Amino acid sequence: MTSDVVLSPSRPFRGLRWFVFTELLVQGHETLAMATSMVVQGVLLVFVWILNPGLLPVAFVGAIVFSMFTMGNRVLNEAAYLRIDHRSNDLYFASPLQPEAYFLGMALGILLVYIWPVVAIAAVSLWVVAYTPSLALLLFAVSAGVWLFSASVGYIFSTFFRENRAIWAYSSLFFNLFGVLFPVFYPLTLFPPALQPIALVLPPSAAAALVQSALGTIALSTNGVWLASGSLAVEVMACFVGAALWARRTAREP
Amino acid sequence: MSEEALRSVDLRKTYHSRGTPPVEALRGVSIEVRRGERVSLLGRNGAGKTTFLKIASTLLRPTSGTIEIFGEDADRHPERARPYIAVVPQEGKPFFHLTPREQIYTYLRARGIGRETAKSRCEAAIAQMGLESVADRLSITLSGGQRQRTMVATVIATEAPLLFLDEPSIGMDPFARRGVWDSLKGLTRKGSTLLLTTHYLDEAEVLSDRLYIIEGGRVLTAGTADELKRSLGGTLKVTIADGRGLEETLRSFGECVADGGAVTVIVDPSRLRELLDFAVAHEKAATVGPVTLEEAFLRSVGRSINDE
Repeated sequence: MTSDVVLSPSRPFRGLRWFVFTELLVQGHETLAMATSMVVQGVLLVFVWILNPGLLPVAFVGAIVFSMFTMGNRVLNEAAYLRIDHRSNDLYFASPLQPEAYFLGMALGILLVYIWPVVAIAAVSLWVVAYTPSLALLLFAVSAGVWLFSASVGYIFSTFFRENRAIWAYSSLFFNLFGVLFPVFYPLTLFPPALQPIALVLPPSAAAALVQSALGTIALSTNGVWLASGSLAVEVMACFVGAALWARRTAREP
Repeated sequence: MSEEALRSVDLRKTYHSRGTPPVEALRGVSIEVRRGERVSLLGRNGAGKTTFLKIASTLLRPTSGTIEIFGEDADRHPERARPYIAVVPQEGKPFFHLTPREQIYTYLRARGIGRETAKSRCEAAIAQMGLESVADRLSITLSGGQRQRTMVATVIATEAPLLFLDEPSIGMDPFARRGVWDSLKGLTRKGSTLLLTTHYLDEAEVLSDRLYIIEGGRVLTAGTADELKRSLGGTLKVTIADGRGLEETLRSFGECVADGGAVTVIVDPSRLRELLDFAVAHEKAATVGPVTLEEAFLRSVGRSINDE
């Protein structure tokens, strides 16, 4: 009976692998949601194709960055839904599973399902974007960073809501404002110059600017590169560590 | 491992929220649960049962007081207490897009239980909860009772040394409830300890070795179901159909409760014959039955409310 009780010092992220698998199974059943996850990106790509086909390479890499960014929205909704409607937090937090494993497991489970439409967009983009190994690597790295940032922010946000409906307005505002209005789908140079430094410190537009620069679409100064890459790296790490610590803190109500 | 599964001393919890006065949910609750016991917390809605359970299951911090799970300080070192516990949360639901089999198995694996053990416990829990026919259906297609059974199955499959069940049989039909009772009894025979809250007093009576009645964040009384019933002053209740005007004499037999025209008297079996003779002499119909836990609960909580 008590042989299962493991009293070794609690290891960070204990239970991660199986919570990833749990979330993978849960999300894997939502095929319609997976299929429709690219609607906004698809529509925006069609708009760009109609209005200015020359911007399609930028729009395609922007669609990839945006897709990774909106995964945070899914983490936000899923975490709040499971906590508020299912009380899953109570089930999992009163167990040896570590709260940060719950957060990261959820984020990874969602990623592993919703990455496939992104892969499809990336595959289509091969016809439009002249990828070099360094460009592909850069796009991969910044996309991963944007995903980790948005998943972390999404999880943190989810803990502040007591009712699911209240989330929709905020999540729509957050993800559309920083993912669509800011220069993710279009070149940074088309953004008002006075606001460009802001765009360079916000993760989705910073990531897009770095890729646009590597594509040769915009000429980013050395300072601009440092600002975008530095702020992206710092924000990603800070938000991820913050979310892991926040997950631990909020596992227990004060 | 400590023989004391749970021990709380003077546990207090005050909720503060802006714009409203503080709410004292627990006002010095001291509870002990020995290893292998089944203990129920009874109380009205808002009495503090769930708050206590949440603190005991490391999900909520107390304002003051101490709580230990198998000797581990559950407030200061929750990570040390968590391997010992598993919780069926109030109004908890399984993942709608998992089947009961997937839900139970993945939960056990996430707790660190090995593959073969998880598999066998998963199948055993499915059988115990009568979920065989729906074990591979997505939970979203299950009835409320089947979902609740899935939650209970998920937690009992852990075979954790201390199980917290917050209204475990809510929404279940009478057959399913009895199935849950049998499974929970079986678990304690294997060494687990149960602490549950319920509003079903028959469930509390069948399942519990001991009961705590909580009201207004305090323990009003504690004991076995028989002890609580005996505290009424008798183990039988006699209801006189039209007892108006006889209350004064009836009170000499035991505690009386008037309900419309009827008067119910709690009486010791030794005085039953005398009371029935009295009823017959006054040409009154009388029915006799055992005192239930419900009467003990209502009187205990009712007195507390009246005192306040």
